[in-house]
Amino acid sequence: MPTCQGADVPFSRPPITRRALTLTLRLGTLALGLGTLALGTPDLWHAGTLSAAPVPPRAPVAFAPRQIPSPLSQRLANYSLRAALDDATHTITGDGTITWTNGTKHPTSELRFHLYWNAWRDDRSTWIQETRLGRTSMAGRPAADRGSIDVTALTLGAADLLPAATFIAPDDGNPDDKTVLRVALARPVAPGETIELGIAWTSHVPRPYARTGVQGQYYFIAQWFPKLGVLEDAGWNCHQFHAATEFFSDFGNYDVTLALPQNWNVGATGAEIKADPAAGDAARTNHRFVQTDVHDFAWTTSPDFMVTSRDFIEPGLPKVTMRLLLQPEHGTTEQVTRHFNATAIALRNYGNWFGPYPYDQITIVDPVTVFNPAQGANTGGMEYPTLFTAGSRWKLLAHELRPESVTIHEAGHQFWYGMVATNEFEHAWMDEGFNTYSTARAIATDIDPQIATVERYFGGFLPWAYEDAVWTREVDGDRLNAYRLVASFDAQSTPTWQYWPGSAGAITYNKTALWLNTLEKMLGWETTQKILATYFQRWSFKHPTPDDFFAIANEVSGKDLTWFFDAVYRSSATFDYAVGQVTGHTVAIQRLGDGIFPVDIKVTFADGQSTVTHWDGADRWHILNDASNTSKIVAVEVDPDRVLLLDLNRTNNSWTAEPQAGLAAKRWSLRWITWAEELLMTYGFFS
Amino acid sequence: MASSVKAPILGCLAEGWRRVIAAPALSASLLVVTLLVALPMGRVVGGMIEQQLGSSLVAEKPAWNWDAAWAAEFAAEAQGLGKTFTHEIIGFGGTLKILSGIADNQPLNPTLAGAVAAYAMLWLFLTGGIVDRLARGRAVRAPGFFAACGGYFGRLLRLFVISSVTYWAIFKWWHPFLLSRVYDHYTRDLMSERDGLVIRALLYLAFGLVLFIANLIFDYAKVRMIVEDRRSVVSALGASMRFLRRRPLRAFGLYLLNGIAFLMVLRLWLELAPQAWDSIGWAFLVTQIYLLVRLWLRLAFVASEIVFFQGELAHAGYTARPPYVWPNSAAAEAIENLGHGRPPAES
Repeated sequence: MPTCQGADVPFSRPPITRRALTLTLRLGTLALGLGTLALGTPDLWHAGTLSAAPVPPRAPVAFAPRQIPSPLSQRLANYSLRAALDDATHTITGDGTITWTNGTKHPTSELRFHLYWNAWRDDRSTWIQETRLGRTSMAGRPAADRGSIDVTALTLGAADLLPAATFIAPDDGNPDDKTVLRVALARPVAPGETIELGIAWTSHVPRPYARTGVQGQYYFIAQWFPKLGVLEDAGWNCHQFHAATEFFSDFGNYDVTLALPQNWNVGATGAEIKADPAAGDAARTNHRFVQTDVHDFAWTTSPDFMVTSRDFIEPGLPKVTMRLLLQPEHGTTEQVTRHFNATAIALRNYGNWFGPYPYDQITIVDPVTVFNPAQGANTGGMEYPTLFTAGSRWKLLAHELRPESVTIHEAGHQFWYGMVATNEFEHAWMDEGFNTYSTARAIATDIDPQIATVERYFGGFLPWAYEDAVWTREVDGDRLNAYRLVASFDAQSTPTWQYWPGSAGAITYNKTALWLNTLEKMLGWETTQKILATYFQRWSFKHPTPDDFFAIANEVSGKDLTWFFDAVYRSSATFDYAVGQVTGHTVAIQRLGDGIFPVDIKVTFADGQSTVTHWDGADRWHILNDASNTSKIVAVEVDPDRVLLLDLNRTNNSWTAEPQAGLAAKRWSLRWITWAEELLMTYGFFS
Repeated sequence: MASSVKAPILGCLAEGWRRVIAAPALSASLLVVTLLVALPMGRVVGGMIEQQLGSSLVAEKPAWNWDAAWAAEFAAEAQGLGKTFTHEIIGFGGTLKILSGIADNQPLNPTLAGAVAAYAMLWLFLTGGIVDRLARGRAVRAPGFFAACGGYFGRLLRLFVISSVTYWAIFKWWHPFLLSRVYDHYTRDLMSERDGLVIRALLYLAFGLVLFIANLIFDYAKVRMIVEDRRSVVSALGASMRFLRRRPLRAFGLYLLNGIAFLMVLRLWLELAPQAWDSIGWAFLVTQIYLLVRLWLRLAFVASEIVFFQGELAHAGYTARPPYVWPNSAAAEAIENLGHGRPPAES
C-alpha cells in the first residue's frame, strides 16, 4: 500500500484582521464587484440613442369631406358593412350589403363565400390538419382559443338564400371543413349583371390563429366577414383555407362602420371619415372607414395603442400619410423612427422601381409581441390593403433588421398583393416571392450594410448580435439557406395549396426571390426593373397569372426566356455545377444537379491571364482543354459572377492550385475546440 | 465536535484563492485535461471542414474570417458533430449559447453529450486528489495526488450516481414544471414582453435555487467525505445537509460570492473575447487564458468550501484523511495486537 509523503500540516484558521481593516476589505471588494458589474454593464441591447419618452397619442382629426377617386379597378365586389365588437364575449356581430358584379363571360347559378374563421372551429378542418404536416401543429389548442363564423342571414332581394347554402370542400373533399359556403341561386346572374346581397353574421374571435385574433384587449381582425370568392371564366375560384396559403378576392369599395368600445384606438383599411357615439350605446363609438379599389378589409383596435403619424414625402411620388399604432412598451422615439423609416424605404424604393403607391394613407400596426407560443400565434408580419402588421421587440439592437425587415416586407406587399392582386391560393410565389426579392433589394439599397445575424437566448429575451456573420442580399435577403434544405420538394407551377406544407414557405418566398435575383444578374437591373415596372403598371388592380408575367418578361427583355422559366418555375430540379477535375491544362466541369443553366467558366493562369468560356450547361460534364496559355492553371471558377443563385453548393464551383482549406480548418477547428472546452467546463460544473 | 467559531466567508474566499494560487500545477493540469478531451472532437470537425472545402476558392475567406454563406452551406451538409459548427461558437455569443442551453434545458448534440459524460468521469476521478490537495494546503506531488484520486474514486462514483439522478430529476421535472407549465400559465394572457422577462427571470431563480442547493449539498458531501475520510456516501450526504442546515446563510453567501466572481470574469470576457478575424494564435491564447481563469475560479470555489468547512469544524490537526499506515485492515490489526500482547478490541 502506498504511504503519503511528509507530515500533514495542522489546519490554521485564516488570520484574524482588525475590525477596520476587515470592514474596509469587505466594502472594497463589494464596491469592486458592483463597480465591475454596474459601470461596465454592457449595453447588450442597443448602441445608439434611445429615448424612453412615450409617444403622445394622436390628436383628434377633423374629418375632411372626401373626393371619391376615379375607379382604379373593376370594383366587382363592394362591401358596405356594420359590425359591433363585444369585448366581453369576443364576438363580432355584423350585417350589411354586398354589391357584386359578374365580370365574366358566363352566367352563374351560385355564389361561393369564404368563411375563413371556420378553419379554427375545431381540429377537423383542412387548415388544422395541414398544420400537422408543417412546422407547427395548431391542433389540440384549448376550445377557448377557437374561432368561428356563422352566417345568420343571406338575402337577395326578398329571397332568403340561406336554405340553399351548403358547405363544400372543392379541394380535398373534407366533409368537416366549413371554410367554403356555396349558395345556390334561383336565377342565374348574367355576365355584367350586378346584384345586391343582404348579409348578417356572427364571428367568434379566436386567440390568434394565422395572424388574426384577440390577445387581452388587443384585437387584430382579418378575414372576419363572409367574403365572396372570385368568379372567373372557368368558374368559381374559391379554395378552402389551407395552411400554406393566404387569400384571393375581387377588388371593390369598402365602407365599414365598426362599433367599438369608447376610447379605444382603431386602425383599419382606408381612412376614417367619421367617428361618433353609437346610437343608444354611450359606451361605444362608431368608426367609419372607407377605401376604394381594394380587395380586403382588416382592422385592429386596442385601448393601449400609442398612435402617431408622419407624412411620407418624396419627390416624384405622391404624399402618403403613415399612421403608426404602437404597443405601449414600444412607445419610444427609436421604435417610432425605425418603423416610419422602414415604411418610407418601401414606399420610396417600390414607388421608384415599380410604380407609385396610390392611396392617401398607410397604417402600420405594431402587434403584441409573442415571446412564448402559449400566448397564441403571432399577429405580426401580415399584409392587408393599406394596413399591415410589423413586429418588434422591447429591446432592439442597432445592427439588427428588426423591425425593418418585416416592416419593409409588409409595406411592400401593398404593391405585390395589394395592387397586383395575384391568386395567393394558387400562385403565392407571385406576391411573396416578388416581395421577398424586392425587400432584399430595398434593404441592400437603403440600410447600413453591417447588419448582423442576431440570435436570442434565455427564453428569447436576450438578443446577441454576431457581427461577424454579416447580412448579405443573396444569402439572407433571398433566403438561400432555407431554400437549400427543401429545394427539390415542389415545382412552383404546382398550385400553392397543394405544396407540401413543411416546405411551402421556402418554395414560395425564397426560390422566387433567388430566381428573380438570378434574372436580374442575367439581364441587368435596368432591364429587370423595366420588366417589373411594366408588369406592375399593366396588372395593377387586376389578377395576373404566371403566364402574364412571363409574357412581359419576354416582351420587355426582347429575349425568349421560356427556357429559364421552365427551369426555375415549371421544374423542381435543383442546380449544382462543380469543378470536377483539373489536370494539366484539362478542366472538367460537372453538372451535378438535374437543373440546367448556362454558365461561364473562368480559368486563371499563373501568369495572371484568365479566359472566360461560356457553356450551355446542358450535358452532365464539359471538358475544357486550353493549351493556348502555357502557364499553369492556378484557379478555375464556374459561374464566377454568381449569376445562378439557385446553385445549392457554391463551394464546389471553384478550384485553386493553392487551397486554403487546411488553414481554414485550422482556424475554425481551434475555435471550435475552445468553445467545446468551455462547454465541457460549464456542464462539468455539476459533476 | 462543533466549533463555536464562525469562519468569515470573505476570509474563506481569500484563503481558498491563496491555496489555489499556491497550486498552479493543478489549474494548468486541468486545463490540459480539458483540452485533451476536446481535441479529438476538434480534429473531427476540422477534418469535416477541410474535406468540405477541398480545393475550393471559397476557403480563402474562412481562412481569415467568418464566411456566413459558406458556413450555412457546411451546416446544410454536416452530420453529427459538424452540426455544432455555427456562428454561435464565436466570441461571447458562444458563452451565452452554452449558458442559455443549460438554463433552457436544451438537448446537447449526442457526441458532445458523450464528451461531457467522459469529462465528468475524468473530473470525478480527479476530484479526490483535488480536494485532498486543497484541504492539506501543501504540495503532495503527483504520487500523492493520484493516490488520493484512486483512494476516493469509488466513494465519489457512488456519490456521482446519486447526484446524477438528482440533477436528472431536476432537469426532467422541475425545469419543465417551472419553465413550461408555470411559465405558460403566467404568460398566456400577457401583453408585455417586459413582464414576460420578469416572470422568466423569477422562474430561472426558482430553478437555479433548487439546482444550486443540490450542488451545495453534493459539494459539501465531497468535502466531508474526503476531509473526514468518510466511507459512507449516505453518511457524507447527511453530514453535508446537517452542516448546511446549521449555517445556511453563510454557506449560501460563500456560494454567492463565488458566483459574483464568475460574473465578473464573464464581464471581462465579454470585452476580451476574440472576434472571428483575430489571428489564430491570439484567439487561441486569449481563450485558453479565459478558460484557465474559469478553471481557477472553479478550484477556488472548491477550496473556499473546504476552508469554510475546516474553519467551522476545525478538528485539530485535521486536514484530510490520515495517511495510510501499514497494516490497516482489521485482520492485520488483530494479528498485530496479538503480537504486542494487546487484548482484542471489545465488540
